[in-house]
Amino acid sequence: MGDILVLAEHRQGELREVTLELLTLAGQLGGNVVALLLGSGVDDFAGKIAGYADKVLVVDDPMFANFNGMAYQAALAEIIKSEKPGLVLIGNTGQGMDVIGALAVELGLPFTTDAVAVKMEGDKPEVTRQYYGGKIDGTIDFKDADTYIVGMREAAIPAGEGGKSGEVAKIDNPVTSEITARKFLEYVEAAIGDVDITQSTLLVSVGRGIREDKNMPMMEELAGLMGADISGSRAVVDAGWLPTDRQVGISGKTVKPKLYLALGISGAFQHVTGMKGSDLVVAINKDPDAPIFQYADYGIVDDLLKVVPALIDKLKEMKG
Amino acid sequence: MSNIEHNAFVQKYDLLGCIQCGRCTGGCPVTVRTPLNVRRFVYDTVDDDRLEELSEKPDIWDCTTCNTCAIRCPKGLEPFEVLLGLRAMRAEEGNIEPTARDALESMFNNGNPWGKPAAKRTDWMEGIEGVEKVRILEPGEKADVLIHTCCTACYDPRIIPLAKNLVRVLEAAGVDYGFMGTEEKHCGSEARRLGEEGLFEYFDEENTELLGSFEVNRLVTLSPHCFNSFKNEYTSLDLPVQHYTQLVAELIEDKKLELKNEIGSSVVFHDPCYLGKKNLVFDEPRYILGQIPGVEIAEFFRNKERSLCCEGGGGKMWVESESKEQRLAETRIADAEALGAKIVAVACPFCLLTLEDALKVRGLEEEMRVADILELLGEAL
Amino acid sequence: MNIVVCVKQVPDTSDPDTEVHIDGTGRGVDQSKFSFVINDADNYAVEEAILLKEKHGGEVTVVNIGPEAANQVIRMALAKGGDAAIRLDDEKFAFSDVLATARLLQSAVKDGGFDLIMAGCLASDDGYGAVGVTLAQLLGLPHAAMVKTVEVIDDKKLKVGRELEGGLLEMNEIEMPCVLTIQTGGNEPRYASFKGIREASKKEIKVMDLGATGLAEDQVGEAGSCAIMAQYSVPEVGELAEILEGDPGTTSARLAEILKEKGLV
Ligand SMILES: Cc1cc2nc3c(=O)[nH]c(=O)nc-3n(C[C@H](O)[C@H](O)[C@H](O)COP(=O)(O)OP(=O)(O)OC[C@H]3O[C@@H](n4cnc5c(N)ncnc54)[C@H](O)[C@@H]3O)c2cc1C
Ligand code: SF4
Ligand code: SF4
Repeated sequence: MGDILVLAEHRQGELREVTLELLTLAGQLGGNVVALLLGSGVDDFAGKIAGYADKVLVVDDPMFANFNGMAYQAALAEIIKSEKPGLVLIGNTGQGMDVIGALAVELGLPFTTDAVAVKMEGDKPEVTRQYYGGKIDGTIDFKDADTYIVGMREAAIPAGEGGKSGEVAKIDNPVTSEITARKFLEYVEAAIGDVDITQSTLLVSVGRGIREDKNMPMMEELAGLMGADISGSRAVVDAGWLPTDRQVGISGKTVKPKLYLALGISGAFQHVTGMKGSDLVVAINKDPDAPIFQYADYGIVDDLLKVVPALIDKLKEMKG
Repeated sequence: MSNIEHNAFVQKYDLLGCIQCGRCTGGCPVTVRTPLNVRRFVYDTVDDDRLEELSEKPDIWDCTTCNTCAIRCPKGLEPFEVLLGLRAMRAEEGNIEPTARDALESMFNNGNPWGKPAAKRTDWMEGIEGVEKVRILEPGEKADVLIHTCCTACYDPRIIPLAKNLVRVLEAAGVDYGFMGTEEKHCGSEARRLGEEGLFEYFDEENTELLGSFEVNRLVTLSPHCFNSFKNEYTSLDLPVQHYTQLVAELIEDKKLELKNEIGSSVVFHDPCYLGKKNLVFDEPRYILGQIPGVEIAEFFRNKERSLCCEGGGGKMWVESESKEQRLAETRIADAEALGAKIVAVACPFCLLTLEDALKVRGLEEEMRVADILELLGEAL
Repeated sequence: MNIVVCVKQVPDTSDPDTEVHIDGTGRGVDQSKFSFVINDADNYAVEEAILLKEKHGGEVTVVNIGPEAANQVIRMALAKGGDAAIRLDDEKFAFSDVLATARLLQSAVKDGGFDLIMAGCLASDDGYGAVGVTLAQLLGLPHAAMVKTVEVIDDKKLKVGRELEGGLLEMNEIEMPCVLTIQTGGNEPRYASFKGIREASKKEIKVMDLGATGLAEDQVGEAGSCAIMAQYSVPEVGELAEILEGDPGTTSARLAEILKEKGLV
């Protein structure tokens, strides 16, 4: 089989974890792993990536100081033409999704996105994807080609330890003219203070089970450590422990976070209606029969006032 | 401007009949926790040029449609309907709360406001004590009683036991009944209360056709809200409509239903607005409770026509008032506690939800409970 | 500003209780129990289009690939303020992948002289999240994906905010005409009243079959696709929550591990 070309992803001076996940996957698939790093002053990243790749191609150019999908597309197109990899892996992320479809059309290559698993069947990748919100899986049949492009879901597989030590090769920027149709301007962080829970990726959601207002700081500490926002049931909003705009449910907000951590919430229908679209639900409740467990992926049946402090300690440990 | 097209509201709601006596606002229960002044709206909406501005006022969503103002009006007006008219202007423009929008879209797409799949509407029928199979009618099939379940009783795990107990009661009394199955749809009541008149008309049409496709003598509803819509608001439904309390009272009177088990408790009945104030069904629920062995009936000071609203109706499920004042449901529970009641009996899914919630807020789970008459019947069977 | 907004009708499978059953062919699912709605992200795209029209004038054209039943979502978009509509409908379009789908859309919009083409960033049924970007390349237009904020700079340029992981907005300047794929949450989609939808059914929906698209048969459907879904399967998942056992020290440690594995902390 041909080489596997992996696009490295970085943002605001940090290499994103998805890069190592893709490189780990490429390593598992066999064949030569070639990483492509587009950036400006990114020697650190190149060093780290080399531990996971047989070769690291680096284009060091101010054009790539920040991400621009159209500039990335132009560079990738040229490099794929010259490197002729058998498979190109790109993260199906905010950056990857801005590139894949257009790149594939430009090169006339078969492609798919949001893969959760990839295997090689000879020279062809066999891709598994999810359909209908993960309710069923499906496998992809590609038209024959010399190169296939696959967008891989973030966190679908864990990043391994690496164990390679590829050479780092700086190459010239193949994009010779500036991209004028689209320009990167700046990053804007979501303003702190005006949290909109309908947009939160992680939610620590509290219910009457937290017992007292004075336990709120503990919940806030947990949320802070996780980078999560705080929401709650109507019971805590009524009690005045949280403002009205943090209420989840039929008369509150509908939320769809990646993680919904329900602490001391019984799971009344009026509440659940507002959070059932969450990707992963974890419930901590001392009542094993609480309806919330019917919606949860993981549950802990215990006193949250004991579990939450322990969890806070664990997370602190993990963060070092 | 000609006065004929003009004054759309004046004619529709007979606004000129109002003598501004203020009895409506005087009796309006939500005035203790919201700025709503319904008399003022009856006065102001006479001026068509102000309708747009008035429809933007958040107060129009404070009304629970409890019907108190209509009962009290000496001129026989229905003042709160004016507020629904204003809500309709908002709904027509699409300018409503996202929570209300989601409920309305779900009503149309799924036939229920809860965002639940229509295909799952009868899942509750599984596992009913002593009942092999719940009877579902095919179009053209005959039965004495056709049941409309209520969306909330089909999907909310807290309310599903009401539907199950209704089946047990029907079976125990040997009633010739049938359900509509997954074809059953929302009655449209809450659509109308959220201002979606067009959607209500759609349900009126759809349901009238569906209900007419069975050979039945009467329609019995689990919820007073559905009861009211079918009975008073559907334009061409040709079927007598009853609330389940009326059917059950009849079954007990006819000695078809025997209540054996004792519920030795002091029970106070909370009149649901759409059963009591709106449709003047006061006696049947009390009669049923009186027939349950061991029940001692207490009465709220504010009962029957003067009963205090629980704030569950009128679309309030989806549109919260901003008020931080004590909810009326809590006041109601406090009143029940003062009476020394052990059970607050209701005959409406919404009342059960709001009052039980209020009971938890007051931390009285150990001392008291809220139960629908259907649940008490289930225990007494 | 003349805008195209692409909308897809999808089954509403968002409720955890909604079951999806694979049909006998293994390449389709049983549709009989579904209720159908406008794709969530497309709903936000429609709202964004209408907001832009309300502010800057112009017309909004709604484009859909779907059967006659999809008129429902088209009418909903028309009721909210859309002006014209095109529906691409031919049995030969069945099994189109991202590429073939984008080609169909291209055929419908290429000669319209539009300033801005918008699509939802992701469809909730197949989840490819790639049609808009693919369409842009076919049209030879610049694009930006996952856009949450749109601001008009002048009649040639837009300022758009692309939403990245963690809610970070990446601000870009982009020249028109261009293609944007719209992320959910950037606006609050208005309600289309029942009467409004009924009223909208008076507006014409132009229907295009294969002949009208000017495409060859091998450019659409399965033949025109580069990567098709070949076989559905049922994933192995537990129905009930996995309960973590042990004392708080153990359960919290296990939970922290799970969150780390899933890339959530
Ligand atoms: C009209 C109407 C609209 C409503 N709208 C909404 C809405 O939008 N959103 C909403 O959330 N609710 C809504 N409700 C209220 C809803 O019905 C529930 O009452 C509410 O969600 C309950 O909140 P809770 O789960 O926090 O409290 P509870 O139901 O009281 O649950 C508390 C839970 O905490 C657990 N617990 C207690 N102590 C501990 C401990 N030490 N450790 C671990 N677990 C513990 C208990 O086992 C219990 O399960 C509405 C109700 C009505 C009537
Ligand atoms: S219906 Fe009830 S809440 Fe509404 S205005 Fe009349 S009295 Fe007040
Ligand atoms: S009670 Fe009737 S007559 Fe009196 S102010 Fe109200 S609407 Fe007018």
